[in-house]
Amino acid sequence: MTDQDLISRFEELDAGRILGDLDAAEMDEWEKLARDPRCQSDISLELTAAALEAEFQDTGLELPQGLLEELEKGTADFVVQGTADLAEEKIIRLPIWRRIFADKETGWAIAAIFLILFVAQFMVKESTPSPEDARMVLVDEAGDLIRSSFGGVGDYKGMTGEVVWSDARQEGYMSLANLPVNDPKKNQYQLWIVDPERDEKPVDGGVFDISSKDGTTIIRIRNPLVVKEPKLFVITLEQPGGVVVSKQEVVVAATG
Amino acid sequence: MSSGDLLALVAQGKESAMDRCIKEYAPLVWSIVRRYVHNPSSAEDVVQETFTDLWKSAKRYDPKIATHTTFVGLLARRRAIDFTRKEGRRPQLEPMPESDSLNLACDGPSALMKCEREDVRQALTKLPEETREIFTLHFDQGMTHPEIVEQTGLPLGTVKTRLRRGLIELRNQLRPANSPQNPQTND
Repeated sequence: MTDQDLISRFEELDAGRILGDLDAAEMDEWEKLARDPRCQSDISLELTAAALEAEFQDTGLELPQGLLEELEKGTADFVVQGTADLAEEKIIRLPIWRRIFADKETGWAIAAIFLILFVAQFMVKESTPSPEDARMVLVDEAGDLIRSSFGGVGDYKGMTGEVVWSDARQEGYMSLANLPVNDPKKNQYQLWIVDPERDEKPVDGGVFDISSKDGTTIIRIRNPLVVKEPKLFVITLEQPGGVVVSKQEVVVAATG
Repeated sequence: MSSGDLLALVAQGKESAMDRCIKEYAPLVWSIVRRYVHNPSSAEDVVQETFTDLWKSAKRYDPKIATHTTFVGLLARRRAIDFTRKEGRRPQLEPMPESDSLNLACDGPSALMKCEREDVRQALTKLPEETREIFTLHFDQGMTHPEIVEQTGLPLGTVKTRLRRGLIELRNQLRPANSPQNPQTND
């Protein structure tokens, strides 16, 4: 293969990487070529893809109600964060802070801010339902609820569990008991959803940890991809962070 | 005020600039994110993350490299693809570069691009009809490769090749004529 052939091949694979369509063999090939000093990737292909995305922007697509307001509300946080960054870079701000801290009222003001933050922290926590509560709401309200029991496999035979799932809401929870506590630095449990309607490959349902051997742990299923008709739920033990495609070396449990 | 100036003000932490930025680019970001993230609630989270990214990366924006729209589009696309890779386990093993590496990745003349919308439209007209058709299905209608195969009856390999080569060809068209990387310069 000439240098030019090599560079052309790398460029084609790099375009595939940007488009996200490399298969495993191509990814191996890309990784090898990327280490070759003759092959250099730059940002131009990614910029081209971004320019295409902008060119094909769906201008008729309406923003969800409230998103703009949420983003605008969040601006205040961005600005606070940005101000902190600037303060680190611009020492000129220090005398201003010295003057502020020299003021007698500042101590009371800081105490008041901490009190507000303390109360706000609990308000935010209260507004986010726990997985237990969210599961109960789903069970009570979902008209299309699917329930399946988990059965442990091999060393995990003693585990028990149940999964509840709603296609309409794209929401589900696992209730798991007697699963060994895992060390997230060494391995993590990962859920897979088998949905033949969608894809022959199982869809990832998220990684999770078991932090206590006692009682039942409720885990929310995290499915960024739409699941149309799940037929089977499988739990495997994987490396920290989970895997793209499971080799299913350690199958922990499955439904059905 | 130009959009380049707007991003410069965002980089300085100006709240009003950030608000204006959100109004101007939220529809673009939402449009890109929705092509990749089908769960509406997750898509809203990704939009939020994109704007956080924009806030952090605005100081790295270089108008010589790309237009502001392309810059914002790139951030949105990265965030959306990262999401599908992390959560959806898209079959892609190499992570996209973090936004923090944006200025480094932009360094170098090879990244120089003309990507005003008019440039992109012009460049698209120079591509073969079949490539434009596949670009429309993929980028406009948000179709996945298997969906394009189903729609067109083309083999998967052909779809992949046309998209990849089309992207390279479009990039070559968008490079300035005097760029050392532009094949037309080397003729």
